[in-house]
Amino acid sequence: MEEGGVNVIDLTQADESFVKELEALGADELRECIQCGKCGATCPMALAGLEFFIKRIVHAANLGLRDILLEDSSVWGCQSCNRCVEICPMDIKPYEVIQAIRRAAMKVESCPANTYEGLRNLYRFGHAVYPKGYEERRKKVGLPDKPPTVISNDEMRKKFQEILRNTILEEIAPFPLD
Amino acid sequence: MKKIGFFLGCNIPFNRPDIEYSARYLLNELGYEIVELEGASCCPAFGTMPSLDLVGWAAASAWNLTIAEEKGVDIITGCGSCYGSLNEARYHMEKHPEIKEQVNKILAKVDKEYKGTTKVWNFINFLYEDVGLDTLKAKIKNNLNGIKCAVQTGCHNLWPSRAYPTNEDNTFFPTRLREICESIGGVAPHYSTITDCCGMGALRSTASEKSLALFKKKLDVIKQEIDPDIAVTGCSSCLLQFDAGQALLIEQKKLDYKIPALHIAQLAAIAMGADPEKATAMASIPLNGVITKIKGGN
Amino acid sequence: MPKIGVYVCHCGENIAGAVNIEEVMNYAKTLPDVVLVKNYLFMCSDPGQDIIKQDIKEGKVDRVVVAACTPRTHEPIFRDALESAGLNRYFLEMANIRDQDSWAHWHDKSGATEKAKRLIRSAVAKVTFAEPLEDRYGDMEKSVMVIGGGVAGMFAALDLANMGLKVYLVERQPSIGGMMIKLDKTFPTMDCSACILTPKMVEVAQHPNIELINYAEVDAVKGYVGNFEITVKKKARYIDWDKCTGCGVCTQICPARVPNEYNYNMDQRRAAYIEFPQAVPKKAVIDRPNCLYFKSMEKTGKPACQICEKGIPPKGIQGCPADAIKFDDKDEYINLKVGSVIITTGYKVMDKSHFKEYSPHSKDVVTAMEFERILSATGPTEGELKRPSDGTKPKTIAMISCVGSRDERYHSYCSKVCCMYMLKHARILKEKYPDIKLYLFFIDVRTAGKDFEEFYVYTRELGVKVIRGGRVSSVDVKPNGKLRVRGFDVDLCSPVELEADMVVLATAIEPATGTEELGRLFAATCGREGFLREVHTKLYPVETASKGVFLAGCVQGPKDIPESIAQSRAAASAAAALVIPGKIKFEAIIAEVDREKCSSCGVCVPLCPYGAIKLQEYKGKEKAYIEPALCAGCGVCASACPSMAITFHGFTTEQILAQIDALAEA
Repeated sequence: MEEGGVNVIDLTQADESFVKELEALGADELRECIQCGKCGATCPMALAGLEFFIKRIVHAANLGLRDILLEDSSVWGCQSCNRCVEICPMDIKPYEVIQAIRRAAMKVESCPANTYEGLRNLYRFGHAVYPKGYEERRKKVGLPDKPPTVISNDEMRKKFQEILRNTILEEIAPFPLD
Repeated sequence: MKKIGFFLGCNIPFNRPDIEYSARYLLNELGYEIVELEGASCCPAFGTMPSLDLVGWAAASAWNLTIAEEKGVDIITGCGSCYGSLNEARYHMEKHPEIKEQVNKILAKVDKEYKGTTKVWNFINFLYEDVGLDTLKAKIKNNLNGIKCAVQTGCHNLWPSRAYPTNEDNTFFPTRLREICESIGGVAPHYSTITDCCGMGALRSTASEKSLALFKKKLDVIKQEIDPDIAVTGCSSCLLQFDAGQALLIEQKKLDYKIPALHIAQLAAIAMGADPEKATAMASIPLNGVITKIKGGN
Repeated sequence: MPKIGVYVCHCGENIAGAVNIEEVMNYAKTLPDVVLVKNYLFMCSDPGQDIIKQDIKEGKVDRVVVAACTPRTHEPIFRDALESAGLNRYFLEMANIRDQDSWAHWHDKSGATEKAKRLIRSAVAKVTFAEPLEDRYGDMEKSVMVIGGGVAGMFAALDLANMGLKVYLVERQPSIGGMMIKLDKTFPTMDCSACILTPKMVEVAQHPNIELINYAEVDAVKGYVGNFEITVKKKARYIDWDKCTGCGVCTQICPARVPNEYNYNMDQRRAAYIEFPQAVPKKAVIDRPNCLYFKSMEKTGKPACQICEKGIPPKGIQGCPADAIKFDDKDEYINLKVGSVIITTGYKVMDKSHFKEYSPHSKDVVTAMEFERILSATGPTEGELKRPSDGTKPKTIAMISCVGSRDERYHSYCSKVCCMYMLKHARILKEKYPDIKLYLFFIDVRTAGKDFEEFYVYTRELGVKVIRGGRVSSVDVKPNGKLRVRGFDVDLCSPVELEADMVVLATAIEPATGTEELGRLFAATCGREGFLREVHTKLYPVETASKGVFLAGCVQGPKDIPESIAQSRAAASAAAALVIPGKIKFEAIIAEVDREKCSSCGVCVPLCPYGAIKLQEYKGKEKAYIEPALCAGCGVCASACPSMAITFHGFTTEQILAQIDALAEA
């Protein structure tokens, strides 16, 4: 992969500790995968044509191909639809492998920009999705400008932020938590 | 009067307040007192805390669950992601007491405690089980007049079934939303890609074109197999794809037909007499034809 | 005038689906000497046979044509039916209107019906000239020879011996134990191979009914089922086994060091040696070509070394304490009579030298069997994992499956056990050295067997890397001594490569040296791949083409230990069933010489594949004589005899010509 466009994956560069890291991050049945391909036949990522989809991702994870997986944005295209979890014959819960890889990626700040945007919104406003101009839309249907959520309650918002500050977000957020 | 905590999430109050309007109208009409979950946040969405850490995810979800617990109510949500995230967080805390313990250590800092007493509903299961199809039928003001519905239950409303308090008999052959549509006067046939993903969500933000292509494939099958008057979703994210996403496809000249789309809360609200103008205010694909049919026109 | 009955079988839909039964029946009624024609859904069923029996008993018919399936499977049943109704069992002819007609022409009903008519017409023509024949009986020697002292041979010998039969167990090597004793652990139970096999080896050696003949080979075979006369060559051991105590003194003081074939030449033994520590019998032999005594005697006529015998007195080293060294030992030939034979001579594994693309010149590229010895506590490294080139402990090992198997250049078959033993090796290594990196390259992972898939999944859980679709294209030695392995990973959908310290090749299982020659001694044939062939894969899996000669284990094809043992015990049972009654029946379908007509040309003698014909004096002249017990009824002699002096009973010239005429008739 590093050899200037030469398309060979060097397994010697694989990192065995990556498998253990993923297991610790929730993919604890990862190694039982026998690559039967059932998830790959149902995964929206595969059906939509992403290069790395669930079956390939699980295999690459098992081989310890940390760099390849963290550099590729495919895991961030997972819909979390959980259909793979529902049908996996080995019950390895493939979606949890995706989550584990995302968690590993976040630790080294290797994720698409919109992931940070969602996190920043979540922390700042209490809502990951926080589009502009919503007040107008709400008015149109006769609802108050702001919904009765954390967005219209400063005291609760601060408490929610305190909760987030007590999670791993405190360590890895690439923006100030204040 | 039965009480229910209405969990708004993000997309419904900010992008599709017409669903919020409809849901409030519907629940009131069905005789529920809506309890506001003041201070509730994002569920959290799968691309945020769940992608960071299991405990962080569970803590953020538990924040929301404790608000309902304190008020002694169950939760209803119109968004599949919220339904999935909250229920999965619950599931992990039930299955792993040590996670629950860690979460409660965090919640203690703001004087809260997660107990696990609140059930999380989506609209499909709530209408099907808590309300019941007979009650629904009894309360109709505008019969759907046989409009043909293509239902989209939504992945998160089905899977992972291990995390859900109630579900379809066969999650790969869902019938509940079809039965709901039929109980209010619609026709809702099965189609062969009924459980296929709509493409909304992380795929849409990571690979927009691929997401829309996947969606178009599903739409084409719907059009070919049942040619419906309307698509009815159980999930607000699916609705965004079916409505705004479809409008994008039309705009890009990739689609030469239109299937208007509504969330089940919207369609049921209209059946219960809600103002169609408000109930469908944010729809990109016009619903005039459908509304006319419901009102008895052709 | 014969009274011929024709019985047409529907074989359910098998025949009736393609052949118009009614039309065929109507036609059969018009054939000469046919007195009645009947049909039934399944002629071979009890009610079907009863129809025939009834007609015979009532005197309606005295010749029978059954138009049904193949005589190969069904002729004995109908012959029995004839006999039980009081008719000579050879007054039967079968017209195969199923295998040769309805199955082949299912798409052409009228054609199939026409062909059925012809086949029946020819059977009728033949049965018209049928003669009454009598089966005969011969004596049966109540003993069995088992050739090959591996796990299959041992179990067959034990079962037969426990049934009270005398067993001769002939083994080529100094010790019994075969390939299994070389294995470290065995899948899927991970039993230590030596631990479970050694007690059986001892049991074999001590069994009063088993005569163990080690370091010996079958030299010549005469006779036939029930009465085989076998010459066994006992190789000279140059050590008197009656005296040898297995103390091992000679194996330590012998100065001649030679590569140790037991460990695939990865270490050395002496010219005087005991094959391996748990050898049974634990006796030493002297390997003549490498012994300094024999070398010098051949060159100079004077002994240069007699250390094993005399020791080195100046150094106070004693020679053989049992006085067992016997330089004048000779090969010995013994003749044994047995009723039956079981061949269990096993297999060998392919050598790595065939596979040029895998750097066979590198010491660190080993076959799986060599690797097995490396893992074994009795192996060249005493069970310590060391790379052959420099003795360091490998950190990364690549294992490659299907090396020489599923490969048209070598062997088209699957060697069957490789997937599982690769996983076994991986499991042994991972359990012992959790940090070792193991890459297993498979085409497919084939784990069909009891508890095999569970074994596979468990091994994966240990962190073994499985690369599928991954037949390795090359193994190259890098300047640093490491091996670069290149393959394709179908699950990654990408070419992959890695640097390994060792590469293990799962080379194919192939027939042991001399399998075909041994088979030929017994007239047992080999298949295309050189393994001994069973008569019928499903129905007669332990029988060879030669009556009374059975097979078991890998001599028949690749199989694992449980299968080998199952087959060996089946062969033992089949051999016992043949031998125990003490009598043997010979079919009447054999050839006979009319010595009056015989011109003494002798052309038939070398043609007979069974060695059944010899020239014998008759009325002062050498005339051909066919030993009925040896004749297998192939008919070659009868068709070759220029004087038409040989009658092939059941297929006389008259019958065959009538049959051909009937077939050819428009």
